[in-house]
Amino acid sequence: MQRKRRKPIKFGDILSFGILTIAAILVMMPLLWMFSTSLRPTTESFQLPPQWLPTQFRIENYIAPFESSVPFVGLFINSLRITVAVTLGQLISCSLAGYAFARLRFPGRELLFLLLLASLMVPGQVTIIPIFLLMRDLGLIDNPLAIILPGLISAFGVFLMRQFFKQMPQELFDAARVDGAGHVRSFIQIALPLAGPAMATLAIITFNATWNSYFLPLIFLNSWHKMTLPQGIALLTGYMGAGNPSVVMAAVTMAIVPVLIVFIALQRWIIEALTRSGIKG
Amino acid sequence: MRKGKANSSRLLPEMTPRHREAFVGYLFILPTYVGFIIFILYPLIESMRISFLDFSILRGSTYIGLDNYMQMLQDPRLRIVYANTIVFTLFAVFFNAGIGLILAVMLNRRLPILMRNLYRSIFFFPVLIAHTYIAVIWEFLYAQDTGVINYYLSFLGIEPIPWLSNVHWAMAAIIILDVWKNTGFAMLVFLAGLQSIPNEYYEAAQLDGANERQLFFRITIPMLSPTIFFILVIFMIGALQVFDTIIVLTAGGPGDATRSVVLYIYEIAFRTFNMGYAAAVSMTLFAIILVLTACQFWISRRWVHYE
Repeated sequence: MQRKRRKPIKFGDILSFGILTIAAILVMMPLLWMFSTSLRPTTESFQLPPQWLPTQFRIENYIAPFESSVPFVGLFINSLRITVAVTLGQLISCSLAGYAFARLRFPGRELLFLLLLASLMVPGQVTIIPIFLLMRDLGLIDNPLAIILPGLISAFGVFLMRQFFKQMPQELFDAARVDGAGHVRSFIQIALPLAGPAMATLAIITFNATWNSYFLPLIFLNSWHKMTLPQGIALLTGYMGAGNPSVVMAAVTMAIVPVLIVFIALQRWIIEALTRSGIKG
Repeated sequence: MRKGKANSSRLLPEMTPRHREAFVGYLFILPTYVGFIIFILYPLIESMRISFLDFSILRGSTYIGLDNYMQMLQDPRLRIVYANTIVFTLFAVFFNAGIGLILAVMLNRRLPILMRNLYRSIFFFPVLIAHTYIAVIWEFLYAQDTGVINYYLSFLGIEPIPWLSNVHWAMAAIIILDVWKNTGFAMLVFLAGLQSIPNEYYEAAQLDGANERQLFFRITIPMLSPTIFFILVIFMIGALQVFDTIIVLTAGGPGDATRSVVLYIYEIAFRTFNMGYAAAVSMTLFAIILVLTACQFWISRRWVHYE
């Protein structure tokens, strides 16, 4: 990207290429093993030396999780429902608050923003006990709402959206004002349509974090038909792990493949989103 | 600015423009602030209160002052879980940031753009997978007799390692898994940082006769210091809260060898329901994270180079 002029290839370039190749193979090996094991018959699950490329295609392993006592489809739907609700909720709440903190003047704005930002330092484990007691009082134990409700807001998301709205040129909003648009209209018709990249960043980060989360579901959801996919996989391993790694690996493969597909499809977005989240400020 | 008579103003009561702006502002932050108060501010204060209680759902709670905090001083397991967490944090942060930086520097060297993108994607992909799934896969890889890792190590003449059943190896197993999963994130952020260093700096230094080592330590590292600092802070805060991997892979065992502070809090709070003590322990973690963040920011003022 930076180098336009041709320079001689150095020994270091070749060496680092070699090391990177080895590292890339090492990173891929566990996932390759997962995939090739998932297609092998149970009796050969533990075969050594391991075969890295799938040599057999036992599709039964992929059907077995659906026939086991773990309601696989239901877990998937539960995870999806929670994740979509949380992501949509954050997109709405964070874009509203981010816009207000960036572009609207009101007394106490800076203080309220700082207070919100400070909450980023509060680990989830510190607040979980009172939240658990609150949800119990509300009768929301074993209810996805116990996970969705606290997830609807995000101090990080507000920060992200605020930074984005702040960068927008003031002239856009002045022009809208002259045309008689109020603040709500300016937000909906001018700010939001331009906020696509920031919204995508927030959506990707939130979706992935919620889809993968284990701590909250573990605390709040305890019946089979309410659990999420990571909980289900962990339990499936407990049930069949010793006897049938192939089936477990088939289940894990099915859980990971959607992530892989989304990653390949949205790769540029995702990498940009996470880089952006990394280089704050 | 003239007074708006647009459609949208009809939705709101008649106000001066300044008042209307403030009104809309408060309205817009309302959802976030309601959530913030219910799910962060109130629980934080309530957690402090609970930490002073002998908590019981059945027979009601009573105030016991600092008893929970005094109990911590005499809790040998607390010392163990904190030691475990600190060991994990030091190693995980060091290797995640170190390997991430090395990978990023190598990716930033001369490399066909296609290879760079491919390798970056491969290194990064594990970041997106849930800890739970990764722990499930690695549990098989780590198996002592049937595991792939010991199989390959045997070629190097290494006896089968009891990865998950030995007190010392279990922690190593957790750290290796964590680095495999998370170093890609450090790599990604470092790579973006490296690419934002202006090439002129290197060219100017090369004209002055600087060698590669000098370029790295005199330009790359100082210019990258805000990024390094950022990665250290977030990895440290993340590592102090390690939970998912451990509960799936070792459940804290063997014995207490890999039990982390958060796993300990979880078990006290939700298995034995001693929520007063759990809240007190969680306050210590909170305090440590606060102090760490403050320290890091203070230190960063002294050595981090900002443009």
